[in-house]
Amino acid sequence: MNRSRSAMIFAWALLAPAILYVLIIVAWPLVETFRLSFTDASLRKVTNYVGWRNYGRIFNDTFLTVIGRTFVWTFFSVLLKMIIGMCGAVLLNAAVPGRNLFRILTMPPWIVPMAIGIFMWGWMYNGQFGMISGLLQRFGLVDGPVAFLAYGSTAFWATIVTDVWIGVPMVTIYFLAAMQAIPKDLYEAAWTDGASRWTRFRRITLPLMSPAIITMSMLSLIATFNSFDIIWILTRGGPSGETTTMIIDTYQTAIGSKKYGEGAARAVVICIFLSLFCIAYFRITRRLHATEKA
Amino acid sequence: MNIILKRSLIGLALAGTTALPALAADISWIYCGDRLDAAHEKYIAEWNAANPDDQVKPEVVGWAQCQDKATTLAAAGSPAAIAYVGSRTLKEFALSDLIVPVPMTDEEKAAYYPNIVETVTFDDTQWGVPIALSTKALYWNKDLFKEAGLDPEKPPTTWAEEIEYAKTIKEKTGKAGYGLSAKTFDNTMHQFLHWVYTNDGKIIDAEGNIVIDSPQVLAALQAYKDITPYSVEGPTAYEQNEMRAIFLDGQIGMLQAAVSTAFLAEEAGMNWGVTDLPLGPDAKGKGTLMITDSLAVFKDSGVEEKAIEFAKYITQPKVQEEYEAAGAAGLTPLRPGPAVDKLLADQSFWKPFVDGIEFGGPEPLFTDYKGFQNVMIEMVQSVVTGSAEPQAALTKAAGALEEYK
Repeated sequence: MNRSRSAMIFAWALLAPAILYVLIIVAWPLVETFRLSFTDASLRKVTNYVGWRNYGRIFNDTFLTVIGRTFVWTFFSVLLKMIIGMCGAVLLNAAVPGRNLFRILTMPPWIVPMAIGIFMWGWMYNGQFGMISGLLQRFGLVDGPVAFLAYGSTAFWATIVTDVWIGVPMVTIYFLAAMQAIPKDLYEAAWTDGASRWTRFRRITLPLMSPAIITMSMLSLIATFNSFDIIWILTRGGPSGETTTMIIDTYQTAIGSKKYGEGAARAVVICIFLSLFCIAYFRITRRLHATEKA
Repeated sequence: MNIILKRSLIGLALAGTTALPALAADISWIYCGDRLDAAHEKYIAEWNAANPDDQVKPEVVGWAQCQDKATTLAAAGSPAAIAYVGSRTLKEFALSDLIVPVPMTDEEKAAYYPNIVETVTFDDTQWGVPIALSTKALYWNKDLFKEAGLDPEKPPTTWAEEIEYAKTIKEKTGKAGYGLSAKTFDNTMHQFLHWVYTNDGKIIDAEGNIVIDSPQVLAALQAYKDITPYSVEGPTAYEQNEMRAIFLDGQIGMLQAAVSTAFLAEEAGMNWGVTDLPLGPDAKGKGTLMITDSLAVFKDSGVEEKAIEFAKYITQPKVQEEYEAAGAAGLTPLRPGPAVDKLLADQSFWKPFVDGIEFGGPEPLFTDYKGFQNVMIEMVQSVVTGSAEPQAALTKAAGALEEYK
């Protein structure tokens, strides 16, 4: 009895720093954000309780458009990262000369500090001095300079491309690791039976990698949904709000306009969406583990 | 026992001595920029020597974070004593009870150029001490003028001429006639306000009524629409400094910019000129937007009185002249005086930056400045991209601004 009690005390003592950390760094700000979302907190020193007013205010046409845009932005960004990441992993896994060099070359977007990478893309999108516009002009594909960040449609895709560039290395390396864990004898057996490359990929690689694909998709979805730096540095949500996603809109409201109450309400909505993604992620991984065990 | 007593006494003495410096009241100063200006460094040292109990402790914060840092500290209840802030935020701070008034005497007010004191005045009280002023003038590229068949020594004086010249440059040289910046950025609104103030327009009147939907502002918006086809392609991708880089590369005929561009144009070896901002049809005289930064004194710092005293000390004419003398910073003088006369005589390109002050206007003071700014940017972008006609954009903006006045 004494031993089990002391074991429990020891366990709690070990857990205490982590619990304290989670309470201070995660739980308290979350609770405080939730509380703020029901107030009219701003720069003023007096804060009043306003009930659901902030939530009523944010669910207007503009915010619904922003929510829709965030989902579209996230969907295409994650999809492209998965496709390119998979292609990259297949190439890096193939027995091609200089494979190690290619593996190293995959890393720069991940190694370069994110802000520097984004500024670099900002320059590439520049109509006057940018490389992309320059190349398009040189090959006669456009008549004059094209400023990619000037128009809603091009700016939207430009931010996605930058996000994909930054996110692909991690996906590639993760997929490569998963790919290398697939037993070689499966491929050898399929090859002996005359299966083509495509069939081997479709029948062996993809099914065996599905846990990795699902896990990576979910993690990428959560990170991309909350992506702030890329859009903020490239366009600040412009032009005319065409690249404003939920996180940008929240920042502009809470920090820009100093409407902390309204900003908190927006943050709570983001939190709800992300929680749903997390629940989905945990359910799927649990199911995958169950399948693996079976 | 004796040892314990002795150690306790030593401990107390040590604690007392280390606590002593904390008793002296520091005047913390959130200072915007990359480094402390040499003039300010010198006079802070002088102040600190004369006021050992009220030491000024500047904290240099980059421009991008400076305003937010001062605001966040104040909102969190631990304000800096003084902060370098855009005067446009003073009304918001004042209404939020975060800053204290810094009233000026008639003599102090009279020392400034006209309209400067108005940039820090709200409810007939001054809420900050002006420390920096930025005005704009029109730069033109003489080589591009020549290439387009225009007289390189004759810059435009009216909007009609400006648009006509921009068109000629675009058609004759294939390069942009004008550098119109319309990115989602604060200076997009500033650039537009220069046009408003060179046509006797206003955004908000002294009684706080939104008066943007006027023929003067409409004319400015229409001029924006008219000059867009002859400007740099995709103006919504560029803010003022990015546009300046294109001008310095010789790709733009005309650009409205601050005095710092003169120094950069010299460095770039350009053949350039600078003149007053062209005037709209309703102009009463030379105009410009006057952007001032001020020293705001925050409430509850515990050293408000001394902070006000220091704010006035560090902005007194002698110090201010030295601060402004570093012309590359792009600051227009706040007060007339012999030093400014000498500057105008030695470097004539300063003249249009000072002349515009007479009919210049302040950045309008709103209770939610960012909200106001976003509405203005949206209005300009909708016209520049062709998604709205000037009158429709103006009417929409006028309605939206009511929320922020």
